[in-house]
Amino acid sequence: MNLSYLTISQLHQAFLDKEISAVNIVKYYLDRIEKLDPQIKAFITVCSSEALAAAKSLDAKLASGQPVGRLAGTVMAVKDIFLTKGIQTTAASQVLKGYIPPYSSTVYQRLINEDAIIIGKTNTDPFAFGASTENSGFFTTKNPWNLNLVPGGSSGGSAAALSADLCTFALGTDTGGSIRQPASLCGVSGIKPTYGRNSRYGITAMASSFDCPGAFARTAEDLALITQITAGLDEFDATSSPEPVADYSNQLNQTSLKGLKIGLPKEYFTGSIDPEVKKIVLQAAETFKQQGAKIIDISLPSTDLGIAVYYVLVPCEISANMARYDGLRFGQSNRDSADLFSYYLETRGQFMEPELKRRILIGTYALSAGYFDAYYLKASKVRTLIKNEFTDALKNVDVILTPVSPTPAWPIGQKANDLLQMYLADVYTVCVNVAGLPAIALPAGFTPQNLPVGFQLISIFFEESKLFSLAHQYQQLTDHHLRFPKI
Amino acid sequence: MSSQAKISPEELDHVAKLARIKLTEEEKTVFLPQLESVLEYLDKLNQVDTSKVSPSFQITNLTNVFRSDEVKTSLDQKSALSSASKTHDTYFVVPKTIDK
Repeated sequence: MNLSYLTISQLHQAFLDKEISAVNIVKYYLDRIEKLDPQIKAFITVCSSEALAAAKSLDAKLASGQPVGRLAGTVMAVKDIFLTKGIQTTAASQVLKGYIPPYSSTVYQRLINEDAIIIGKTNTDPFAFGASTENSGFFTTKNPWNLNLVPGGSSGGSAAALSADLCTFALGTDTGGSIRQPASLCGVSGIKPTYGRNSRYGITAMASSFDCPGAFARTAEDLALITQITAGLDEFDATSSPEPVADYSNQLNQTSLKGLKIGLPKEYFTGSIDPEVKKIVLQAAETFKQQGAKIIDISLPSTDLGIAVYYVLVPCEISANMARYDGLRFGQSNRDSADLFSYYLETRGQFMEPELKRRILIGTYALSAGYFDAYYLKASKVRTLIKNEFTDALKNVDVILTPVSPTPAWPIGQKANDLLQMYLADVYTVCVNVAGLPAIALPAGFTPQNLPVGFQLISIFFEESKLFSLAHQYQQLTDHHLRFPKI
Repeated sequence: MSSQAKISPEELDHVAKLARIKLTEEEKTVFLPQLESVLEYLDKLNQVDTSKVSPSFQITNLTNVFRSDEVKTSLDQKSALSSASKTHDTYFVVPKTIDK
């Protein structure tokens, strides 16, 4: 059986029908990883023996007639900031190199409970601080569509792994665009759910009021199933939402395209946007229009402030969250220091990557005496304005459609030395995080250089079912998500 | 926030000390203009009138989340200590904290 680029639903069915065993599925991906990952470098850790052992026991379970989980037969790659019990979790930083967590993150565990098999931990910017994986404390991941280009980030390893068919689906986190942007740059689909929809428990914390675990998959149908499994209240994360989880998988055709009101915010189609990206994203809107949707021009005037709000609030939250990395209870440390104070300085100075230091310094500065009102409080107020503009706009339209990234994937190294340019790469994704809304990123087409371009649909809080439904119908009408890199 | 330099070399040293991070001279040279450019960019926020806006600290309108105060199984001592750089019996060993 040809396993190449199969979806969750296809593989799961083939496994249930005993067309292929879990062991052979795992071997297929391990072979691909062995062949391709030396060039792509999506994985920090490949867990071959754990994956094969899990596959063997899953095959035995099916053979003995016991019920199997909804993800049986599928293989996942997990961003290396999700804690995975017994499997090294580095956060792509020297800080946590060698750390074997004694417990697992909730989102990961819920997928394991449905018999998904983990094949490895993927590269990211350290602790997810970045937009290209170039800040990783280990190496830069390459874009499978062109190995000279970045895969995007921070969840670039997960997006690249899925794009190169090194897994059936992958996990990521989206604090400012870190799922949607790499999905767009690597030509796969990705969901950033509403803040609080997926538990943050067991994931290294970046900015606690922004962080959103989510997933990458080949289709909206697959994303709906994954989210169905991962979403919902978690007693270990007090910010996880008690809102009931809708039956996403059974509502894929529920939202009618006829008469659907789609808002196009003008601020997302001006300025630095690449003309090819604009053209391709507008074609996606046209596809909906041809099915009877109404395209409505809207305005979100504070869009331009999103990056500034983000780079005040997120570093502030980072500086607090990163205080725990002192090398005493976990992580690498410098044990030769003379006293506790020098120990802290030296351990953190020695093992933290430059971007960790920069963001901690920005946050510490903004929260230090005399600056709180000017930065944190001010940004928290502008956060309200951005949120209100979205919620007001979404009273008049059903969904908002925008580009994900102003450009396709860019050359490795191009923005690495220009901090602000790298920060601005998230200009179209970041406001969604500031507002806490859900958004789904989907492949929309390809540039003349054959690079994938994505668009995103944004809805009001907890309307993931609408996003999955619209995305699924779009993917029935188009085949951009069925094109794969030649590697 | 004014138009003069946002962060002086002395302030950078102070902030690094607050953050418990030792910076090399080279890092200071690289970081200072980078942080300056980011802080200057953040000045954008001052152009916005927020006199009538309340701040958002939590975005999905959850209010206080309580749970009952019950003892539940948690990580055992061995697991909790498993990643520590130095342990003694059931303790984390830390560098000397008090001088006398």
